[in-house]
Amino acid sequence: MRRAATIALALAALGVSGVGAYQLAPQPAPTSAHWRELAWPFPRDGWPAGRAFRCEGGACDGAELYIRAKRGFCNCDSGVADDDEVDRVADIDLISPRFTATGPGEVVHVGEMRGRARRYDLAIYDGTSHAAVGVAVSRRCDLFVAAAQGRGDANAMQHAALALLETQEMKSWLVAALDGK
Amino acid sequence: MFRCVLTAAALVLFAGSTFVHAQKQTIGAPPEASNMKLVGANDLQARSAYQPTIHHQGDRWIAYIGHHGGTDDVPAPVNPMTGQAEPNGTSIVDVTDPAHPKYLRHLPGQEGKYESGGAQMVRVCDGKSLPKGDPNAVYMLRTFGSEAHEIWNVADPANPALITRIGGLKDTHKSWWECDTGIAYLVSGAPDWRTRRMTQIYDLSDPAHPQKIRDFGLPGQEPGSTGAVPTELHGPISTGPNGNRVYFGYGTNKGGILQIVDREKLLNGPKEPTPDNLRLPEISRLPMSAFNGAHTTFPMLDMPVAEFAEDKDGKTRDIVMIVDEAILNECGEARQMVWFADVTTETRPMMISSYTVPEASGQFCQRGGRFGSHSSNESMAPVYYKKMAFIAFFNAGVRALDIRDPYHPREVGYFIPAITQATDKRCIPVEGGERCKVAIQTNNVETDDRGYIYIVDRANTGLHILELTGPARAAAGLPKN
Repeated sequence: MRRAATIALALAALGVSGVGAYQLAPQPAPTSAHWRELAWPFPRDGWPAGRAFRCEGGACDGAELYIRAKRGFCNCDSGVADDDEVDRVADIDLISPRFTATGPGEVVHVGEMRGRARRYDLAIYDGTSHAAVGVAVSRRCDLFVAAAQGRGDANAMQHAALALLETQEMKSWLVAALDGK
Repeated sequence: MFRCVLTAAALVLFAGSTFVHAQKQTIGAPPEASNMKLVGANDLQARSAYQPTIHHQGDRWIAYIGHHGGTDDVPAPVNPMTGQAEPNGTSIVDVTDPAHPKYLRHLPGQEGKYESGGAQMVRVCDGKSLPKGDPNAVYMLRTFGSEAHEIWNVADPANPALITRIGGLKDTHKSWWECDTGIAYLVSGAPDWRTRRMTQIYDLSDPAHPQKIRDFGLPGQEPGSTGAVPTELHGPISTGPNGNRVYFGYGTNKGGILQIVDREKLLNGPKEPTPDNLRLPEISRLPMSAFNGAHTTFPMLDMPVAEFAEDKDGKTRDIVMIVDEAILNECGEARQMVWFADVTTETRPMMISSYTVPEASGQFCQRGGRFGSHSSNESMAPVYYKKMAFIAFFNAGVRALDIRDPYHPREVGYFIPAITQATDKRCIPVEGGERCKVAIQTNNVETDDRGYIYIVDRANTGLHILELTGPARAAAGLPKN
């Protein structure tokens, strides 16, 4: 009984640290950033739910990141061709339908997938504004998208989000999601 | 006892696997059919097919068939008539004798594979019906891949002549052309719009001199807008000046919208693409589930409904049939199907019924390729209009629906062509690679005034010309054959 309780306590402790927590710095420190997994916060829409994370510590502290696969993207050959495509598909509109790009986007890679990232000003329902980053990359006819938002610097959010997506665990999950698993 | 249970279980498993196996299409096997039969066929040079349009010109019946781009394996199939490798474009086939269709000409399209090349869409108008057309000409409006719309004179269908080209686009798709006015609703990607597909409205009454009327789309898609971008256009269908409505379908397999638009206000209202000007001609919208898109929005107005015949009001109904498009192979998405909307009270459109092929009737999720609807016939010729609808259902072939009571549509026939050596594979990702299957992918369907049904295959199997038989024929009011 005591042994079972010990195991339960250990599991609970692991749970608190978060299955989806990813260290971005080699040594844990008060200023290091890690992403803690959250429940998917949005109502059901046309695509299955993805995964959500909150950044704790570091330059992205407080930012949230939402990622998911969108299978069946039609433009199989040209992929994510332009910034308008990022506006349309990157799930920024899940956070708020009122967003404005702050400038042209840029080419980004996630694993072997190529696409674009773009930064936005996001009008929040309470009258405040957040910075946001939309990322869309493609694998043949399928898309992988990420949207990050927070009060901090968009550059730091984008850097931290892409670093998370480049971890081996996330890359494995991403491939499985694009395969429909 | 245990042995008996094991034996029974094994038999059930064996029977199940045999049944599933029996659903897999094999070369040489006969087509699957009910109340529909094959009249004739053409392989269309093994090119992936989209829109067929059947036109009665003189004493001939000509089928114009748009193609997608080539495949990874065969980007530009060889045209046996020229001996040249040609990017997929438009097939022109004489179907005057539907039992012996005669391939006349392949008109190459834009280089590129799948949706990135070819010449998917085609509409045809006689010069004598267009207000300023050459009465001796027959005009074919087609897309040229994603970059242009073209008009050809096909009075001699074996020797088309290019008349004009509207280029500089980032995409094209399922356009509509009013032959009595020349007004064309061209599904285009204007470079400065935020959506891949919107509408460019042209006066093509004189096909040699296209006159731009305006750009149109949903507010949020126009140049300079910000925020969420509404679902992109798939295609419109106009009822012309008499009906004064245009029914726009937005979406493919997600977030569909039926938009009902006042044609007069659309054509003659303020044209600058501001949010207010884009909203002005809109009468209403019917947002669909996020699970479904609107590939085809086919109006059937003033339909008498037998069930309502004794009612003091609402004896006839205005119906729009909405067809979603399945995109993913092997049921990798929510079911795409057919919906019927009652739009009699235009500002309060309501879905009233739906139709899908029962998956278990053919184990269609296991056959390979897409399963689900794609498109319907769009001919409004009296032979079938408001009585029968034909739905292209990918690996479930074509489905004939009795729609005389649109509140209760009923399947009365089907035809699934046999696969051939030309039928292309369809693959899904599996651990570390792909698994592929070969199955019919009936993509589009059209009918002619004689009652023949033309279906074409996305997986390169070609054109099949069909007719109704038995009870389906009787339901359409056709004489026995």
